Amino acid sequence: MKITTFAAIYIGSYEVSMKVFEISSGRKIRQVDHVRSRLELGRDAYSKGVIGYELVEELCQVLKEFYSIMEGYKVDDYKAYAGNVLRAVSNELFILDQIRLRTRIEVHVISNSEHRFMSYKSLAASHDFEKMIQKSAVVVDVGGGSMQITLFRKGTAVTTQHIELGIMRIWEKLTKIRNLVSHYETQIQELIDKELEIFKRLYLSNQEIKYVILMGDYINEMVKGFSKKEEDGTIETERFLKLMNKWHKKSPEELSRELNLANDHDTLILPSVVLYKRLTEEMNASFIWVPGVGINDGIVYDYAEKKRIIHFAHDFKEDILAASKNLAERFQSYSCHTEAVLNMSTVIFDAMKKVHGMGKRERLLLQVAAILHDCGRYVSLINQSDCSYQIIMASEIIGMTHLEREIVASTVKHSSMPMQPYESVSDKMDQQSYMIVSKLMAILKIANAMDRSHKQKFKTIKAVLKNKELLITIEAEESIILEKGLFSSYADSFEEVFSVMPKIREKRVL
Amino acid sequence: MEKEKDFLNPEYYENRELSWLKFNGRVLNEARDKSIPLLERLKFVSITSSNLDEFFMVRVASLKDMVHAGYKKKDIAGMTAQEQLEAVSKETHLLVEQQYSTYNRSLLPLLHNCGIEILDAHEELTPEQAEYVDHYFMENVYPVLTPMAVDASRPFPLIRNKSLNIAALLSKKDEKKGETEFATVQVPSVLPRMIQIPSSEEGIRTFLLLEQVIERNIHQLFLNYHVLCAYPYRIMRNADLSIDEDEAEDLLQEIQKQLKKRQWGEVIRLEVEEKIDKQLLQILREALHVAQEDIFKISGPLDLTFLMKMYGMEGKDELRYPSYKPQLVPEITPGEDIFAAIRKGDILLHHPYQTFDPVVDFIRQASVDPDVLAIKQTLYRVSGNSPIIASLAQAAENGKQVSVLVELKARFDEENNIVWAKKLEKAGCHVIYGLVGLKTHSKIALVVRKEEDGIRRYVHLGTGNYNDSTAKLYTDLGMFTCSEAIGEDATAVFNMLSGYSEPLSWNKLAVAPIWLRKRFLKLIKREMKHAQEGREAFIKAKMNSLCDRDIIAALYEASSAGVKVELVIRGICCLKTGIPGISENITVRSIVGNFLEHSRIFWFHNDGQEEIYMGSADWMPRNLDRRVEIMFPVEDERLMDQVRHVLGTQIMDNTKAHILNPDGKYEKIDKRGKKLVNSQEQFCEEARNAAPKKANTYQERVFIPAEPVE
Repeated sequence: MKITTFAAIYIGSYEVSMKVFEISSGRKIRQVDHVRSRLELGRDAYSKGVIGYELVEELCQVLKEFYSIMEGYKVDDYKAYAGNVLRAVSNELFILDQIRLRTRIEVHVISNSEHRFMSYKSLAASHDFEKMIQKSAVVVDVGGGSMQITLFRKGTAVTTQHIELGIMRIWEKLTKIRNLVSHYETQIQELIDKELEIFKRLYLSNQEIKYVILMGDYINEMVKGFSKKEEDGTIETERFLKLMNKWHKKSPEELSRELNLANDHDTLILPSVVLYKRLTEEMNASFIWVPGVGINDGIVYDYAEKKRIIHFAHDFKEDILAASKNLAERFQSYSCHTEAVLNMSTVIFDAMKKVHGMGKRERLLLQVAAILHDCGRYVSLINQSDCSYQIIMASEIIGMTHLEREIVASTVKHSSMPMQPYESVSDKMDQQSYMIVSKLMAILKIANAMDRSHKQKFKTIKAVLKNKELLITIEAEESIILEKGLFSSYADSFEEVFSVMPKIREKRVL
Repeated sequence: MEKEKDFLNPEYYENRELSWLKFNGRVLNEARDKSIPLLERLKFVSITSSNLDEFFMVRVASLKDMVHAGYKKKDIAGMTAQEQLEAVSKETHLLVEQQYSTYNRSLLPLLHNCGIEILDAHEELTPEQAEYVDHYFMENVYPVLTPMAVDASRPFPLIRNKSLNIAALLSKKDEKKGETEFATVQVPSVLPRMIQIPSSEEGIRTFLLLEQVIERNIHQLFLNYHVLCAYPYRIMRNADLSIDEDEAEDLLQEIQKQLKKRQWGEVIRLEVEEKIDKQLLQILREALHVAQEDIFKISGPLDLTFLMKMYGMEGKDELRYPSYKPQLVPEITPGEDIFAAIRKGDILLHHPYQTFDPVVDFIRQASVDPDVLAIKQTLYRVSGNSPIIASLAQAAENGKQVSVLVELKARFDEENNIVWAKKLEKAGCHVIYGLVGLKTHSKIALVVRKEEDGIRRYVHLGTGNYNDSTAKLYTDLGMFTCSEAIGEDATAVFNMLSGYSEPLSWNKLAVAPIWLRKRFLKLIKREMKHAQEGREAFIKAKMNSLCDRDIIAALYEASSAGVKVELVIRGICCLKTGIPGISENITVRSIVGNFLEHSRIFWFHNDGQEEIYMGSADWMPRNLDRRVEIMFPVEDERLMDQVRHVLGTQIMDNTKAHILNPDGKYEKIDKRGKKLVNSQEQFCEEARNAAPKKANTYQERVFIPAEPVE
């Protein structure tokens, strides 16, 4: 049995942590070590926009020690990620370079969506989680700089929202007024409420939520005291809130003592208490669950999955499709036409497999693009391609990376206008992605063309690749003159990309 | 609330210094026990002496500091520092008196009967002996003496702490009577204190003390003077030691504020011979600024620690206990893979009944095992030539990751520790020099091994230091385990000690200074709850000292709720037994035996789901609040039985145990009609029986033909 020893490093806004794992197929991933070093990078990052050299120095020192711990365990591989805190600063590249030169550790800065997806994977590995989301659940992943709220219904993720409200950031924002008032929990609360209210109105109006799943800093310590839990490890919200209400009147010193925190005067504890309290109150769920996993766990699950050592029972594709549909519905662009385009583009994609050389992931992106291809019309009928692009780029879909979102958005944008040369988009994606966009776009274009009238005239559709031609055989009940006529103009751009000419063969059924 | 206060009533508590003095009294009692071989009894006298020295240097010095700093806070028993000093002074005088009466009245005559003679006055020498002594003086002693006189131009010299000196009154030979001068000379510590001299009788060994040799020849040092009189004296200073860690933090601040007032080098004890000349004593008193109550008039040789040398002298084995050889641990065969043995199940070690070798071997095997990735260990007091240190250095050289936490704050051991810490660093170990503000007292060793099915951690946890020499004298318990839960915790302990954040949670271990006190209080409270619900409830515990107010209050509360509390406490015990309504259910016994009782066991009934813990911590504020300590559970049923047996037998002990009576006195147990139990002897016997009989290593030689693999 091959055992991979793997280290997952995460640089957060006030803590640098490393977990060492053993991964092997057929066994649960086993955590071997967990080291955390407190380092408040967020203090500089969120107030000055750069991280000063003293902190960088300390960061390198910690990472150097981590490196020697990794050596101690003879790890086979590692991944080191930094999140929000490095994204937020202007000297990001210099810091990464310093780290590389001094510690030999290669740190990748991940976008919020990647970060959240990893955290989400650590959750998805749990059996309880699958059960909870079958009903309805909200996952709140709280970090130092921001948090992510993801809504699940019937087993899939419906929407996910990134809110720039993290424990460290709240604290930093209140630096100036902290000295003006003796108890600033009211101010924290106001700050939180403003952000939460909008989310609630948009996504939670008249929705029953059964579980609030809380991930993030301090929450593990907070619920440690609850020895009596429900069978699935959840806690009744009422009991949790009772404790929070008791706590939020206390001073950081008292709280730190009660929670046995390393620091006797942990200033971040108060914002945390208020934040979790408000979150729980607003979500109004019956139970809360604290799974106790974090980003480091996510990193290892992500790694193991990519290395094909483990497989998830949970289908992340379904999440993406469901979230996309939900997004399309929000902009009133989900219709029979959308489904027809979705269906046709998938048929074409599958038929073209040998030619386009793309895989499952790209197929999924195509589907997402098909679902969202009309969403811009909600804003403007004339400028829909640009609007669609903006909407997709502004909406997070859990499970998709930033680049993938760019691919989908660009595909949608260019499916109703000519493709631009690579130079014009080179700041957004690499050449490989550009090719994917071009191919997906070509497919989406002809699929869209075939339902030009938005009447879904085709009953069945088959596509076969023969020599240099793609034969699309359709059965239609009514005249498809419009579609046929428009088809030829898109066929050229299709041929340009794939060197294959699409042809429609009609089979009239009456 | 009212009830809560009751348990904290100072009347229910014993002052810790006075309790400690009682402990020293019990040690002295051993010296008076006629059933003990004579040299062993001498050893106990010597121990009381060195104990007392340390007590003065650390505790009395501390009390003096408090008085000087004007520290008014009362102790656990409601006494101010001044009151404590007065009480301590009274008790120590009594103790010293008893010590010398034991020495003079019982031990000296007995020694004589056994052919050993210690002359305590040079005046008693025979002419031949005198000649030998004088010769010895001129040859060996005279060259290293530095006599110092005091007069107008020469101020009183600095007398070194704990050194033995001789003070003399002189008068100039050519001047008329009346003018006396004072002189002092240090008895050199480089020379043996006991000098064997020719005997007046056949078959007798005669010893004379070095100060007597000097006294006899003191005129040689002051040739132009008449020596009017000369007497030995010894002082104890409140000097180079910083504040004792046991003291409250606010005291430290108080003293820092009043730093100037702290009298550095103040003499806190002056020992003189009983018959000392009054004028001489007066001079000493004035020059050294000693208060009347700090003077100890001794009827016999000063500083009885030399008796330890006597104990170790060659021959006369019949006057000592036969030496005990620590036995093999049945689960561990020397020379075989210790990790394989641990994988078979947890292993309990009981030192010194069982050998300490497996612990040394554990580190040694790890240092050369190619599968071992890392070794991590805490070291507190280590023997000078420790094989453990050698192995750790070896491991680092073999490319293993070795982290060692060296506690530099170990009392009186600092210098020794620094030397080998440097040695380890040189070899490539990662050495952590303790934590700021905390002493690392926990005893834990962790070996991380990469095995076929992943990383496995082997942990040794103990109640005693990793010191192979004291492991022959101190009774300690240790446990080997490769339990995953404990292994994870052990890693977390070392992460914490390396300066990383604490773990989010602990699986099995309870760690001071943060979690341990709470845990103990919780365990005691739980027993109390069971008792209140009418179920059986007991706590049996063994430790070195008990003086934590919160814990005692919790025990009182538990006792009043009906929990049966049986304690075996070697040393200080601030808890009082038999207070009506408060501590009627508590018994305290103290075992002072040939081996120093050192293990800590905590056994809770828990309504039948018994829980047994062992660890490095006593129930003292310093252990619970200012040290890194580890308490670990014993969970293997087989090991639990072994530990139950250890503690159970100690509670049954009626030979070496003293029981604490409600009047605060310790008394030996009435043995009439009872089967005699001497726990230490019984454990020796049991270990001998349990040890594997000389295993036949070389069995019949058979060549085994290899078979093809399927």
